[in-house]
Amino acid sequence: MPITILPPKSSRPIPSRRADPEDVPSDSDSDTSSQAGGADLDGDIPMITTANKSSPKYDSNTGIVTPGELITSDPQWMRGHGTYIPLGTKDITSSVAGTITRTNKLISVRPLRARYTPEVGDLVVGRIVEVQAKRWRVDVGSTQLASLPLSAINLPGGILRKRTETDELQIRTFFAEGDLLVAEVQQLFQDGGASLHTRSLKYGKLRNGVFVAVTGMGGGGGVVRSRRQVWTMDAANGAGQIDVVLGVNGYVWISKHVETPAEVENKTMGITNMEENVSATMYSSQNDPIDSDTMREIVRLRGVVTALVENSLRVDEDMVVRGYQEAVEMALLSSKGPEDVYLGGERGQQLAAALTGV
Amino acid sequence: MASQQHVLLSPAELAYLHDSLSLTPPLRPDGRSPTQYRPLSAETGILPGTNGSARICFADGTEAIVGVKAEVEKTRRKWDDDTIYDENKEETREEAEGAEGSSDWVELTVEIPGFRDDDSSTVFLAAMLSEALLADGGFVRRLVINRRFHWKVYLDILLISPPLSYPLPLLSLTTHLALLSTRLPRLKSEGDEDPFFDDDWAAAPYLYPRSSNKKVLARPPVTLLVMAVGNNIIFDPAKEELAVADVALAVSVGDVSSSSSSSSSEGEEDVDMTAEEQEGRKLRLLSIRTVDPPSRLTPPGVPNATNSAYGHAQVGEGGKTKQQMPEARAAESEAVEGVWKPPRGGAKALVMAALVQKTLQRGGVADEVFDALEGVDLG
Repeated sequence: MPITILPPKSSRPIPSRRADPEDVPSDSDSDTSSQAGGADLDGDIPMITTANKSSPKYDSNTGIVTPGELITSDPQWMRGHGTYIPLGTKDITSSVAGTITRTNKLISVRPLRARYTPEVGDLVVGRIVEVQAKRWRVDVGSTQLASLPLSAINLPGGILRKRTETDELQIRTFFAEGDLLVAEVQQLFQDGGASLHTRSLKYGKLRNGVFVAVTGMGGGGGVVRSRRQVWTMDAANGAGQIDVVLGVNGYVWISKHVETPAEVENKTMGITNMEENVSATMYSSQNDPIDSDTMREIVRLRGVVTALVENSLRVDEDMVVRGYQEAVEMALLSSKGPEDVYLGGERGQQLAAALTGV
Repeated sequence: MASQQHVLLSPAELAYLHDSLSLTPPLRPDGRSPTQYRPLSAETGILPGTNGSARICFADGTEAIVGVKAEVEKTRRKWDDDTIYDENKEETREEAEGAEGSSDWVELTVEIPGFRDDDSSTVFLAAMLSEALLADGGFVRRLVINRRFHWKVYLDILLISPPLSYPLPLLSLTTHLALLSTRLPRLKSEGDEDPFFDDDWAAAPYLYPRSSNKKVLARPPVTLLVMAVGNNIIFDPAKEELAVADVALAVSVGDVSSSSSSSSSEGEEDVDMTAEEQEGRKLRLLSIRTVDPPSRLTPPGVPNATNSAYGHAQVGEGGKTKQQMPEARAAESEAVEGVWKPPRGGAKALVMAALVQKTLQRGGVADEVFDALEGVDLG
């Protein structure tokens, strides 16, 4: 069965899940965040035309609001993200296309699709797109390229070395165009651009794995900020350990877990030598030998992440780990046995259904 | 011809992808089997203003729409053709049926968002698609009205989403479905007089005729994108897979009945088709084009042994010489395990032969693609 052609999906009705604000007690700030309050990523969304424009009052039946659409003119509400108040009025108006979220008396609109908005301290996965004299420009899925100054990376030969002109000349030996890296947002500029740093042993160039970009926030799917964005997990079917990096910006890296020299020698060596040794592999672009079992499980994990996104589920450690276990069990039942790693189309929906318990 | 804009992937990613695709069986990043297509949804007859239209949507969000429009055009007479039409009607009838079409009766335009319509990649895509359609002359023969007039067909192929992967298979499948759903008004006039059509759209016959049980008798060609990594042959590659391809081919395959049955009458076609159904579909290779994979333009990886940023602790023992020319060193190197090296040179003849054979063999991919396309509701 090399090809499956399905009839087009009909639009699914959006469940009306918001109650009218008037008859909800004010302590209800938890209900909206727990629901995967988003529209389908693929289906069409029924839009309801506001018939009575004269007395708009935060209509709870509206599935979706569009930019410029009046949300409410009731002064008891405060405006949140994704809304604005036009000059000379008191109307809260949507500035993005999305669903309305309400936290106590705060109204905000969650965009259906949005680019990543950097915040200080976010863990991001980025790709170098430009090399300049003293800095790199990094694509992090934001509206602008983030910048990574040469002074914000760990130079080989010890963390505390001073940056020299030789380093500037050899800037491409650290990161070249196309290289993937994991970094942290260090600073935000006035215009929303971000400055990154990799001054930690956790950060740096990525290798031994695959990259997958999922859309960030919106629609209920995508990567959400959580306590742990990087973890190492045990894989099934005789594979080694696998590292997963979920960038807050929706870029995901799945790779074979490599014992860094630090981890190996931590047992024998003191902390002072650790930094010198870790820098040995820091800017390598050579993959370690990876056995096919590990590769297969990496593909399976990648399939889990894409299946989660395609079915509008959030992507975090809990969901990915549970999804992976579910996928391993699904493969056991499959006709091709545990080697079957395909999780697209219907298999993905099956996986999502198993995870949400529907 | 470059297949796509430059794909930005790091050498480590490329090396990993190449390694996993070279395994036996290959491990594709999305877990598909080597011959498996991405799941897609298809519908036809979506544009009321066209003679035929179709839409196909891949699960990753790439979407294409094709509209077919037809108009009557006067056929240019050949320079040596001095027949007088009215006098020998019998003869003209025969000739009209065996008449050859001309390839400029079909105008095919491809539009890819973000690309100019005279961009070389867009023009190349259009050329490949029209080449498949015109290769055996079977399609243009259907457009003959009589000796003086023919249908001129405009095929507008639009990719609606940004090109997330090389769109050739998607555009080809959508064009296929659009042509299958194409209807032309029923001709009322006879012989070589000025054409006069029935204005009842419900009576309009399909360009590709169908039998009484709605079975399509002949089918337009399909172009498949096939690539090879090492000795593995992979169908419908995604963008990142194409980025490590050793060789990529666009193989156009036609259903052989589509050319043979076009000049025969309705009754005979039915008989032909049932005979063919029993022995399976006869596939015919229409054209092969090599597509230049973006892998050739990717930067090579730097092995640890020559990386000046690697193992700085050891630089003391003779690292001085290494430091001097960092850029020159990255240019060329021997193949090292785990380091990306862009493919050089042409494809192996054996691999090329296997590519074509795997596409064409009975029960092969082309066969199954035709089977799946038959399942689409043509409305």
